Amino acid sequence: MQTLMKLEGITKIYGEGNLSVEALRGVNLEVGVGDYLAVMGPSGSGKSTLMHILGLLDSPTSGSYSLDGEEVASFSRRKLAHLRNQKIGFIFQNFNLLPRASLLRNVELPLLYGGMGRKDRRRLAYEALAKVGLADRARHRPNELSGGQRQRGAIARAIVGHPSVIMADEPTGNLDQQTGGEILELFDELRAGGQTLIIVTHDPSIAARAREIIRIVDGLILPNGQKAAA
Amino acid sequence: MNPAQFIREGFVEIREHIGRTVMQTLGVILGVASVVATLGMTASMDARRDQYFRESGGTRLMGVYNQPPGELEMTARQRAKTGLKLSDAEAIRDTVDGFDLVVAEIASNHRVRAGATEESFRITAIEPEFLQMRELELGSGRYITDHDMDSAAAVVVLGSTRARELFGTADPVGKALNIDGKAYTVVGVTAEKIFFWQQSDTYNAHEWLNRLIVVPITSYMKRHQNAGAERIDELNLRLRSPEVHEESRDALELLLRSRHGIEDFGVWDRQERIGQGNREGMIYNITFLACGVISLLVGGIVITNIMLASFTERMREVGVRKALGATGWQVFVQFLIEAIVVTVFGGAAGLALGIVFTFGIMAVMQMPMTITASMIVISVASATVVGFFFGMYPAVKASRLDPVVALRYE
Repeated sequence: MQTLMKLEGITKIYGEGNLSVEALRGVNLEVGVGDYLAVMGPSGSGKSTLMHILGLLDSPTSGSYSLDGEEVASFSRRKLAHLRNQKIGFIFQNFNLLPRASLLRNVELPLLYGGMGRKDRRRLAYEALAKVGLADRARHRPNELSGGQRQRGAIARAIVGHPSVIMADEPTGNLDQQTGGEILELFDELRAGGQTLIIVTHDPSIAARAREIIRIVDGLILPNGQKAAA
Repeated sequence: MNPAQFIREGFVEIREHIGRTVMQTLGVILGVASVVATLGMTASMDARRDQYFRESGGTRLMGVYNQPPGELEMTARQRAKTGLKLSDAEAIRDTVDGFDLVVAEIASNHRVRAGATEESFRITAIEPEFLQMRELELGSGRYITDHDMDSAAAVVVLGSTRARELFGTADPVGKALNIDGKAYTVVGVTAEKIFFWQQSDTYNAHEWLNRLIVVPITSYMKRHQNAGAERIDELNLRLRSPEVHEESRDALELLLRSRHGIEDFGVWDRQERIGQGNREGMIYNITFLACGVISLLVGGIVITNIMLASFTERMREVGVRKALGATGWQVFVQFLIEAIVVTVFGGAAGLALGIVFTFGIMAVMQMPMTITASMIVISVASATVVGFFFGMYPAVKASRLDPVVALRYE
């Protein structure tokens, strides 16, 4: 399988001296193209930090991270913003749709920052909304939509630019079970289409759908299959 | 990246927070309004003054009158040289190129009788170009011609008020008129000229033109002065163009001083008067503009403050935008354009308010209002500048936000 992301000896230390906190203590991880990964772990285990580093929102203190064969640790903020735009699609627990913009404009945002013209943006945004079954809601604002619809809108926004990987942080955390199930089915469809997915979750039933479960405790990834202590 | 998109975002921002936007732009609105009102009032008054000048001969008019020097011992010979003379007009025509019209004038009071009416009136003896110089038009009959001048014809042209006083409602053209016992014929009546500085004025600023009794200067000298006298009371001059103002005035004064051997004359000069008026107006303008600029500055500070205060509210938004791939520069441009859109909105509102303000003041003063393009340009430009400078700090702050921190912000 072709490698999409490769982490070697990634550490992340917040603060300095006695007050410093080691969030990650040497993480090694390989993600292949088309993988479906679930990242699990207790609060404070470092899984959010790992997500941020994988998503290029944060940079590691040490270690190497290559994305699509490019070593990204040394990239400028501008270049990182560009890579986030092109290669990564984020889905958040609380959806994070811009409240004052229509769903369509929310979905267009990544394309706008990518420098795409208005006509193409519109076309691709409608395509993405159709994929998640919200084409008829394009002109609505987030507060006119249900929670499930909002999250599907956020998924449309994540996939609109055809990123290399989609990262979801507790995507069903704010949804009831049935709605959450619909979202997970959407992920299954994406997966079937060859989309690489990384999901951070507490929920074992979500993790069960993933091809692989990454368990992280105290800033370290546990070897495969090993149960987390406590 | 597309600025039009961000301008739209700015409008969305205004629509969503109309109350906040109004508060935010209040300083800019008032600042621009006071700047516009200042310019508006000045422009309106200037326009009014220009209209007055235009209707009474334009700004190129100049005049020389007798102003004998104070206590000065003069010999008879010296005394003979002083005072304006008809030959001065000739000399100016011959040697000073900057004037296209030179009209000598004698004015003094005489007994005027028409039919049963007899009264003491001022008689103005001039050369024919006077009509042209003062933008006088004929109501009936004809004006004084070169032929009248050459033949020293006993003809008179009346202003509309004088015509009414002497002849009532009848047309005076062709009727006889007696000036100090000398018989004249009325050949023309000038059309009434009216100019009220304020609509409520009862004083017509052009009334003196309606009260003229005009005769050819040659006829006057022949009938009312001793032979050989050539003294005149005033020289009316008109510049060829405003550009030759200074050199022509200098040449004029130099010529008259050398001909009279002494400075025995005064000069009135419309262009100089306008310059003085403008300088005085400038002080007034600067004072009021300074007030406007200060409130613009305060308005700018308010904008910065409110943008910073609403900043926490928008941190998550910035985080999301950055997660989706917005660069710091794109966030910066978005915030800056938003600030500029908000202030330009304030500038437009201030322009409207300033115009209403000017209109109100001009209505009270009962003068027509003038709106100039510079008012619009200055209000929009100053609002843009305020938005640019005072939106800069919040925009820089937003652009530097760490996406992880911004996303985590609740």
